Amino acid sequence: MTVDTVTPQQITVGVLALQGGVIEHISLLQKAAVQLSSQQSTDSSSTSTPQFNFIQVRTTAQLSQCDALVIPGGESTTMAIVARRLGLLDPLREFVKQVLFVAFTRSSLSSTHLPLSVQHKPTWGTCAGLVMLASAASATKQGGQELIGGLDVKVLRNWYGTQIQSFVGDLRLPFLEEEQDKKPFRGVFIRAPVVEEIITSGSGTAENAVELGNDEIARLKERQKTEKVQVLGTYPKPQGTGEGDDIVAVRQGNVFGTSFHPELTDDVRIHVWWLKQVVEGLRSGGGGVQAQS
Amino acid sequence: MASASTTDDFTVKAGLAQMLKGGVIMDVTTPAEARIAEEAGACAVMALERIPSDIRAAGGVARMSNPSMVKEIQAAVTIPVMAKARIGHVVECRILQQLGVDYIDESEVLTPADDQFHVQKDGFKVPFVCGCRNLGEALRRIKEGAAMIRTKGEAGTGDVVEAVKHIRTVNAEIAQAKAALASGGELAVAKLAREIGCDVELLKTTAELGRLPVVNFAAGGVATPADAALMMELGCDGVFVGSGIFKDAKTPEHAAQRARAIVKAVAHWNDYGELVEACIEHGEAMKGISNAGMKPEERMAGRGW
Repeated sequence: MTVDTVTPQQITVGVLALQGGVIEHISLLQKAAVQLSSQQSTDSSSTSTPQFNFIQVRTTAQLSQCDALVIPGGESTTMAIVARRLGLLDPLREFVKQVLFVAFTRSSLSSTHLPLSVQHKPTWGTCAGLVMLASAASATKQGGQELIGGLDVKVLRNWYGTQIQSFVGDLRLPFLEEEQDKKPFRGVFIRAPVVEEIITSGSGTAENAVELGNDEIARLKERQKTEKVQVLGTYPKPQGTGEGDDIVAVRQGNVFGTSFHPELTDDVRIHVWWLKQVVEGLRSGGGGVQAQS
Repeated sequence: MASASTTDDFTVKAGLAQMLKGGVIMDVTTPAEARIAEEAGACAVMALERIPSDIRAAGGVARMSNPSMVKEIQAAVTIPVMAKARIGHVVECRILQQLGVDYIDESEVLTPADDQFHVQKDGFKVPFVCGCRNLGEALRRIKEGAAMIRTKGEAGTGDVVEAVKHIRTVNAEIAQAKAALASGGELAVAKLAREIGCDVELLKTTAELGRLPVVNFAAGGVATPADAALMMELGCDGVFVGSGIFKDAKTPEHAAQRARAIVKAVAHWNDYGELVEACIEHGEAMKGISNAGMKPEERMAGRGW
């Protein structure tokens, strides 16, 4: 054993519990933590086994206890409205990152969302959670909807259609290759969104959104020097909707989003992988660093 | 779980209900009402021609809504749109599936079309929610393919007593199933399954989980934020509100206030600071009809079996 094994590290992971599939994530995170700890106890290179504490987050006080956060599936409009009424939207934005894009409608872009002390803590959104973490969204309700941001992408809500078009499909996820089992991941897509555009300082959304101003373009340029949006998973487009594959999993820095619902399967691999990213991020000091934007 | 529940098809059907948890599903009769519900934070809307209190008042035969009205509501909102079919009316269900609704409610609020059979639901691509008054009824519906359950209250009355009675019954029977499994194993579960008239495997799963194997919302008679929070405290995963939003609302803004207040009450059902605010925002509730004096033939919850 190495000298680092003084006390196990305590890591608190929250699941935003305003509405949606909360328990499902907590249950799979708990299984993932058990698996991670058994993996690490057999791995002599590891320094210490972190102790995970999983909590439901409904208040700013609960959010402030968290080292990392999952935003679950549910209805993104409901979550945004409930979060707004609780005064939780700006704390969430600070938790994840600054956000300057708001929704797709120009009218809803507003200077009230220019903040913030950036905590830049690891965050993962599934389905509605991915929508919440996007910088921009289309096919939103009339008048647009409020987002948290953190991923410089534009998502398209309900891309596959209504519930009748919901499906389960096999995904090849290269980032899971280090997990022992290489079988495809069963992706559960329920009225799922996809990433329709990766926003860069030169991409369509950024150029067209004149209201963003130079500050936002500058922010995008600055961030993309160090943190580009990485595509971590794709799925073939539905027949007749065009060529190529849809983007269904993305990562930018320590912000991660999936169109599908790993928490609706028994497959713990993505939760294990994500907890590992959280641990590594915290060890390298990237997690809780306070900075001013 | 039953064979149907292990398939991808059932994962997707039951999964949508899981994503509705902690939310409020509101009955709406027009696109404008649907927009009020969406802006208030409803997690889904139920499109129907008349709210249950008006169905009750109008009498006659209550049927599936006109497809044109369902389509208008689908076009107005981005949240899931549900619609009701009559118990046993397989053709109404196929029409609603063709319309692309996100969930079908095979509902006792409409006049039953078949006095023998509920719809065989597992052959549909669209998921179904069905009502129950007890555990046996819930598991019979799940066996037929229902991917979501709602404990029945007396719809359109604004009196929560029946909804409370039925969730209490379901909870007590789940406790009984757990005790049977613990004390007598599978044989005791099989005996209980015969008594309450349900599938043995589904009852065993329920006993192991200590809850219904699918999401369960409260429905019927929920009229106030306090009613909604009560149903959450009793273990429901979310709440349907039928007449409680729009019945006797003085203005669209009053309906919107009620809708926001009930969303808040469900999200924060055990936070009394938030509940006080929700009650204030809600304002005057629908007048309602006490269930105590109702004749059996006036009760909707008794429909189905």
